Amino acid sequence: MSQTHAVTGLLREWVRGNQQALADLTPLVYAELRQLAASYLRRERQGHTLQPTALVHEAYMRLVDQSQPNWENRSHFYGVAARLMRQILVDHARRRNAGKRAGINVPLEQAASFQQERSGDLIALDTGLTALEKVDPRKCKAVELRYFGGLSLDEIAETLAVSAVTVRRDLRMAEAWLQKEMQGA
Amino acid sequence: MTQERWTQIEELFHRAAECDSAARASLLDATCSADPELRREVEALLSFDRDAGQSFLAAVHSELDAVGFPLTGETVSHYRILEGLGGGGMGLVYRAEDIRLGRQVALKFLPEESVKDPASLSRFEREARSASALEHPNICPIYEFGEHEGQPFLAMQLLEGQTLRERIGAAESGTPPFESADLLNVAIQIVDGLDAAHRHGIIHRDIKPANIFVTSQGQAKILDFGLAKPAPVITVVGNDSQGDSRDDAADSAPHELELPGTPDLFLSRTGVAMGTAGYMSPEQARGEKLDQRTDLFSFGLVLYEMATGKRAFSGDTGPSLHDAILKQTPAPARELNPKLPARLERIIGKALEKDRECRYQTASEMRADMGALQQSKRAFRWWAVGLSAAAAIAFATILFVLNRPPKTVSVVPEIKLRQLTVNSSDNPVASGAISPDGKYLAYIDTRGLHLKVIDTGETRTVPKSEVTKDPGMNWEVGPWFPDGTRLLINVLPSREQWDEPGPIISSIWAVSVPGRVPTKLRDHAFAWSVSPDGSLVSFGTGKTKIGVRELWLMGPNGENARKFQETNEGGGIGGFGWSPEGKRYTYVLANSSGNTLLSGDIKGGPTVTLFQSSEFAKLGDVNWLHDGRVVYSLAEPGNGGVCNYWTVRLDLATGRHLEEPRRLTNWPNFCVFSGSSTNDDKRLAFVASSGFYTSYVADLDAGGKRLRNIRRFTLEDADNVQVGWTADGKVMVAQNRDKWSLYKQSLDSDTPEPIVSSVAGGALLAGAITPDGKRYIGRIWPDGESIDHPTIPFPILRIPLAGGTPETLLQLSRHGNVSCARPPSNICVLAEPSEDRKQVIVSILDPIKGHGPELFRSNVDRVLGVIEVPPCVISPDGTRLAIARNPESPLEIRSLHGQIIRKIPSQSVGELDWLNWSADQKGFFVTRKSQSGNELLYLDFQGKATSLRKCGGGASGVGGGCGGSPSPDGRHLAIDDKNQSNNIWMMENF
Repeated sequence: MSQTHAVTGLLREWVRGNQQALADLTPLVYAELRQLAASYLRRERQGHTLQPTALVHEAYMRLVDQSQPNWENRSHFYGVAARLMRQILVDHARRRNAGKRAGINVPLEQAASFQQERSGDLIALDTGLTALEKVDPRKCKAVELRYFGGLSLDEIAETLAVSAVTVRRDLRMAEAWLQKEMQGA
Repeated sequence: MTQERWTQIEELFHRAAECDSAARASLLDATCSADPELRREVEALLSFDRDAGQSFLAAVHSELDAVGFPLTGETVSHYRILEGLGGGGMGLVYRAEDIRLGRQVALKFLPEESVKDPASLSRFEREARSASALEHPNICPIYEFGEHEGQPFLAMQLLEGQTLRERIGAAESGTPPFESADLLNVAIQIVDGLDAAHRHGIIHRDIKPANIFVTSQGQAKILDFGLAKPAPVITVVGNDSQGDSRDDAADSAPHELELPGTPDLFLSRTGVAMGTAGYMSPEQARGEKLDQRTDLFSFGLVLYEMATGKRAFSGDTGPSLHDAILKQTPAPARELNPKLPARLERIIGKALEKDRECRYQTASEMRADMGALQQSKRAFRWWAVGLSAAAAIAFATILFVLNRPPKTVSVVPEIKLRQLTVNSSDNPVASGAISPDGKYLAYIDTRGLHLKVIDTGETRTVPKSEVTKDPGMNWEVGPWFPDGTRLLINVLPSREQWDEPGPIISSIWAVSVPGRVPTKLRDHAFAWSVSPDGSLVSFGTGKTKIGVRELWLMGPNGENARKFQETNEGGGIGGFGWSPEGKRYTYVLANSSGNTLLSGDIKGGPTVTLFQSSEFAKLGDVNWLHDGRVVYSLAEPGNGGVCNYWTVRLDLATGRHLEEPRRLTNWPNFCVFSGSSTNDDKRLAFVASSGFYTSYVADLDAGGKRLRNIRRFTLEDADNVQVGWTADGKVMVAQNRDKWSLYKQSLDSDTPEPIVSSVAGGALLAGAITPDGKRYIGRIWPDGESIDHPTIPFPILRIPLAGGTPETLLQLSRHGNVSCARPPSNICVLAEPSEDRKQVIVSILDPIKGHGPELFRSNVDRVLGVIEVPPCVISPDGTRLAIARNPESPLEIRSLHGQIIRKIPSQSVGELDWLNWSADQKGFFVTRKSQSGNELLYLDFQGKATSLRKCGGGASGVGGGCGGSPSPDGRHLAIDDKNQSNNIWMMENF
């Protein structure tokens, strides 16, 4: 079975309620996204910032059979992909941070002039999201879809099966709350 | 936290967030009176209710970048890696800062796979080092070869711009990525780079759009030079497909890989790698030993794509691409882009010859062809009155103005153009005429009259001294007699002499083929035409205020002259001609309301108006063909210096157009004139003219009052305008080769040192070097700006002389004037007209901050022209200003506060166009504006002017030329003067 068929089948299974299908799906999507992230950047990055949207859409196009469009499959896929993108980036940030702590010799004045280090932000965001998920899983999902999946408000609304107004409210609350958590307030 | 509590917090948060701060307080007061904890929670949330999205996105993007560019933020050797720039087959590229030198560089890391092979690694290092020795402006320099944790990297110049791959990819599909002028400009730079490398025995082997970078300044840079292998010293003749690879097995591209030997070789055979394979030469595809000619083929493919937007060969798979490269001929480039010059298509075709023996053999050979093409397309900005004096005086050719603008139609494709003369700009062709049988070309240049047999090139010259010893007299080729054995020439005075009152002082001479001594036919006369049967010569004589008074006819040897027409003092007659069958005549009648082209029957009767118009801007020369067509030249809209030939069929008896005007030539940078056709209408010869500025340098003698040893400083036939001297004694030159650039060059060198390879936005006008010697403050005349109705702000640029990107220092709403003192002073000043244009405002110009404090204002006692700025220049020591408020009033020396220190009578100069202090501050170099060409003068403090040089070109309204800039030590003067390149071309099949 081709990978496309496999992913499409697993998605369908998962939509029907088979949780094992999600477990099987995850590594496939993870691998695809990771490879896309690296290769996309290397090939296409020319002065513009890469959007996660492009990666998630591309992964969807590559992994899911397009001959029978199915919005349910699509929204489930985006849900998985955004979560995995978060995982990929946070894993990467953790590894990077670990490397730094292991001690690469950087003279103090150089370290001071470094551009703002973002890996800390990302880890803090991840921690905040984990906490948010316990209180309000839908808001956590909305944030994931928005920032790690690069989805528009309408796409998020479709994926979460709520109205766009609700998504807007969810995001506003979630962002304020996450900021508060991340600042330790 | 319970779900209930969370919902409560959220609801109150949203309600409060919608309120203004007063309403918010009362809402919270009312709602939370019994629940201070709730209030605390909501208030905390509200304090974070701002757009957090951007910071989340930034965190995500930054990490995403880090996934693709794992070294971001690290320090490698003495480089601090700032961010990922891109990458591809050749590995990852980062922007990094060289900590030791404080400059930014591009660091390119090789793909990991390449590291595994020690042989290829050491080869890579060896070659990278040899390539780093290639110092050429069109080769991206490699600064250093290094290694980081076993991974080799290169430090290269950091470039801003894009690769040709991106540029081509960004073009809309169906539109060519480049205009042909741009294309040539970039292509010539690339081939220059290739030439330099090939001369060092280095071939690239992987020329492709992704390896050619065009900076935002328009400079082309070949990347990855040196990742290729050195060219073999001896070209293997009769190489077999196995390749002679005993000596360097590792170097030869293995046949089955189908890829050139750069690091792309190590990539998987998808996407990017396939792109590389698409630019292989046939010998490369066969795995043969390569020489420099492989680069020329690959470059041909790149050119093809630049010209058409399409790949020449586009197989989907390795084998089909391979097959295409070896066997297919790509579709002619002009089928995909009909606007492409045919000569460019031929150049591409020759580069793409599959047999390398038939291809261009060297880059310089290809460069020569492209250079010649560019030459023929070069901008012709200052041609305005470059018409020969005769044409201006006597309407020697019929003034012809269409009463409606012709439609633009495509050029007839089968027209053939052939260049008949190859005169340099030192010796421009003034006029010419083809004999009616098409056998001879008669033309005049500074050396005399030449009669050239067109088919053999054999030429006989009649020196000018045979006709006149007076250097002030010009001569011009007149009409041929129909049998092709004799022609007439006119000997004419200069424009100034013509304008003086008195009799017409031109004379008509006859020359017999093949170049006998001319005989004079008539004095005080100017020949226009010979009747089709050869029995009558028409000529003009007598002057009115605006033209020729009388139209006369005479026999072929000057006998039996009689008056035919006459006009009054307010009118003028011009350009008399016969219709080809001899039954009708045409001539121009000029009066104060304009010019009319009339036609009449030779036997008498009323005249018919063929054209009536006051639109003299469009006038051009006219040639009546025997088949009833008219070929005439017409200025291109918006660019009076460029004109092309058109044709139309007219009914001479009624003036009716029998068909729509049709364009014959479409040369973007030339003006055509002095046309003549053969009896069979098959050949039309004409002068194609292109004008440009050249810089000269002279030694100053006698306290600045005499020039010695004047020599041409810039050799190229393109605008090169001197704009001053650098602190280290080099001449700064603004150059226009499709785009404006700035370079400096020392007096004892003919090698320019580029400062800025391309200035965006328009023409670079004269400016000033800042007192610290580090920057040039230059003014821009924006592209598309009209002299009469300027609309766009005029930018003033700050250009670092050590290289770097020009920055806009300020935008002026009116044209301004910049000058700077020399150290120890540190002052620059800006002079600009006030809003009402009745004053000139002089302020300090800060090279960093722009506009400084105003110093003073001065009335100019009139309203300045829309682009006029009175010359105002600070003295070298920074203590005084020289200002010429009015052409009539004296030149003033003022203090920085505006007090007049001294007035210098300058009536002897007349209208002043350029003003510069002499180095010793005891006088000025000024330029006198004049119709017949500007003049450079030295003006002392007593007002005595000494002529230094009379410049060519004539007044044109733009630029002017003939400016003088003294070197800081006062020993030399840099001068800009006009030059003109005029040559005769022949059109066939039109």
